[in-house]
Amino acid sequence: MAAVKETVQHVEALEKYQHGFVTDIDQEFAPKGLSADIVRFISAKKGEPQWMLDWRLEAYERWLAMDAPEWAKVKFPPIDYQDSYYYAAPKEKSGPKSLDEVDPELLAVYAKLGIPLKEQAVLAGVEGAPRYAVDAVFDSVSVVTTFKKELGQAGVIFCSMSEAIREHPELVRKYLGSVVPVSDNYYACLNAAVFSDGSFVYVPPGVRCPMELSTYFRINAENSGQFERTLIIADAGAYVSYLEGCTAPMRDENQLHAAVVELVVHDDAEIKYSTVQNWYPGDPETGKGGIYNFVTKRADCRGDRSKVSWTQVETGSAITWKYPSCVLRGKDSVGEFYSIAITNGRQQADTGTKMIHLGEGSRSRVISKGISAGRSSNTYRGLVSAHPKAKGARNFTQCDSLLIGKTCAAHTVPYVEARNGSCVFEHEATTTKLSEDQLFYVMQRGLSQEEAVQLLVNGFVKDVLQELPMEFAVEAQKLVAISLEGSVG
Amino acid sequence: MTLAAALKTRDVTQLPGKRDEDWRWTDLRGLVRALPEPSEPFAGEPPRGPFADLAGLPIHVVNASDPVVIRAKSAEPYVVALHFAALGGGSHAATARIEVAENARLILLESYEGDAEAYVADHALSITLAPGASLERVVLAADGELGINVSTAQVTLSAGARYAQTVLTDGGRRQRIETRVTHPGAGADLRLDGAYLLADKRHADQTTEVLHQGVGGTTAQLTKGVVRDQSRGVFQGRIVVEEGADQTDARMRHQALILSDQAEVDARPELLIFADDVSCAHGNTIGALDDEALFYMRQRGIPEPQARALLMAAFVGEVIERIEHAPAREIARAWVAQRLEV
Repeated sequence: MAAVKETVQHVEALEKYQHGFVTDIDQEFAPKGLSADIVRFISAKKGEPQWMLDWRLEAYERWLAMDAPEWAKVKFPPIDYQDSYYYAAPKEKSGPKSLDEVDPELLAVYAKLGIPLKEQAVLAGVEGAPRYAVDAVFDSVSVVTTFKKELGQAGVIFCSMSEAIREHPELVRKYLGSVVPVSDNYYACLNAAVFSDGSFVYVPPGVRCPMELSTYFRINAENSGQFERTLIIADAGAYVSYLEGCTAPMRDENQLHAAVVELVVHDDAEIKYSTVQNWYPGDPETGKGGIYNFVTKRADCRGDRSKVSWTQVETGSAITWKYPSCVLRGKDSVGEFYSIAITNGRQQADTGTKMIHLGEGSRSRVISKGISAGRSSNTYRGLVSAHPKAKGARNFTQCDSLLIGKTCAAHTVPYVEARNGSCVFEHEATTTKLSEDQLFYVMQRGLSQEEAVQLLVNGFVKDVLQELPMEFAVEAQKLVAISLEGSVG
Repeated sequence: MTLAAALKTRDVTQLPGKRDEDWRWTDLRGLVRALPEPSEPFAGEPPRGPFADLAGLPIHVVNASDPVVIRAKSAEPYVVALHFAALGGGSHAATARIEVAENARLILLESYEGDAEAYVADHALSITLAPGASLERVVLAADGELGINVSTAQVTLSAGARYAQTVLTDGGRRQRIETRVTHPGAGADLRLDGAYLLADKRHADQTTEVLHQGVGGTTAQLTKGVVRDQSRGVFQGRIVVEEGADQTDARMRHQALILSDQAEVDARPELLIFADDVSCAHGNTIGALDDEALFYMRQRGIPEPQARALLMAAFVGEVIERIEHAPAREIARAWVAQRLEV
């Protein structure tokens, strides 16, 4: 096993988390801690109308009465909600805000992360290359949204949540909290009280959004939590593809990221929502630091023949705890969930989906690939249920787990509730280790052990990778390789 | 939170209910508002039970009695029929201890029976297999329509032991048959099968938990269900492979047929794995009878009711075929056929 040892040492020398830098940006904070006054402070800071403040305060009251849930297979010390900043924003310069006036430090951060914030930077690419509009959220606020004009011509609204509250209050009031109610769960309720920003998308009837939309979340400030709220509405016959990405600096203390994402899909509309989550996972040896990623994501397929497709690549975070779900209310509505969850070091992930079939002929498909390495723990937890009215509902679920190493854990906890005689639910799951034979075969062809593992793992997750928008699939594939560094042995 | 604790303390708040994750589909707390008085002692001829004729030793327990102790020491297979009956209503808790000595073989034919009265019964079995021991357990549970029955078997295996189980049930008002196995690996072999055949408003819950604690263990599990009318079938299977329990081979399959729009099947097949050199899989399917197979058979002149019965018999037959003790298998087959008649 000398070769193995060598690989391990070699890999240990590599830099494991490439987005761990901190940027010194002139920032302003809300006072530390959480109280009704902080909620008022955030609301005032954003210049919100009274109804929004009332909504927040009500959520805060409810949150006080709730207990933190404990059922997930994740372990962490109790969170001190008073020891955190709930609002951190880069200091605004006066004057109208165009891209040129954004703090160059800030632009440098995004350049370093490889996120194109300058529209021409995208245009300068290869001719015919797909373009995508970006909303960049830095700690608590959205700093810039690109391609707004071009999207506006198509009638698509893509802006930060604060702007949407100002510019399109009728849409926000109609839809905000209609998919994830204020008191849905502990972290969603906290989010409703203190959310600071996020993205808002509205695609009008019959419009196919002309480009990929994406939001890039960055936690920079120390001791701060990020609570963003995303709301996407696809009106009848509309289509939009949306991608979110996330990174954070390496720090020794844990930071909370409790986001809420709501998707509303009307008749014949479709939303494709992809996530590449790469928050700082904490120190692989000691498990110190890292992001707690406690997110509530839910899609409401209200319309007939509506469709939602969730694709997620989860490689970061100390703890991931989220279940992107579909409420399949419409007749013949479709929900899909494709997931890759990779845990290494001391990461813990408890993730999966809920497919709630309410509409006749609704269909869903769940493909989940979990990979655990190091001393990590990776759980798939899912629910598939069919209401008595959901005649002819169909589900297919496949969850496979791959274990690399003796000290990691992989769990599969599916719940299936079938309540009518015409639904067909199929579920299969396997848990195996990386095949010695396959490894041997590939290494015989001259690949190093590290490369061989990457190749096999990429094959294992292929079904999900191909669901990602093309330009991100490549990125995700690299991410898979990076996440597994140091896992062989 | 167990039924046994609630019966002992006469405290309904000790009953497990919806808020207990492992009981979310078998809610006793919400169902039982007050515990019935303890059952009257039974006088008279005890019912014989379905397996009495097969056994060298038939044991009858009516409304609980002193703890039953069965010790098997012979390498020749020994057949015991253990029949639990709940008669005349009330509540009671029965216990039994079964020990199979080194290299000994036991065939345990267990059955449950309840009359039309409302009763609450708890059964706790402790089953221990010494190294190289072998036990086949076949359970036929025929509870009354108003009967609430929880039967829990705690099974401890030793190296090289072999344990095979088949639980067949037609449910009750609330019924749970639970099996918990500690599996040392070390060449021990486990089979956990079951079938539930439910009609009317009956409920049946088959719950299993297997803890693989050592290297080289195998587990094979197959549960089938048929639910009709407004009945509800529950399957919860959990296989845990603890750290170091490498070369574990565990397979779990649950398949259910829902034959009415008011019937319900809830399933949770869980795998919790803490070791990497393992091969574990589970499959779970829930659906209606295959229309094409039905069409094919009707085309061949088989009337629809018979065609349905035939398909269901074939579906459940897979579980029956795996019963090794031939006379018990025939009784089980007849028992199932009777319950699949339309």
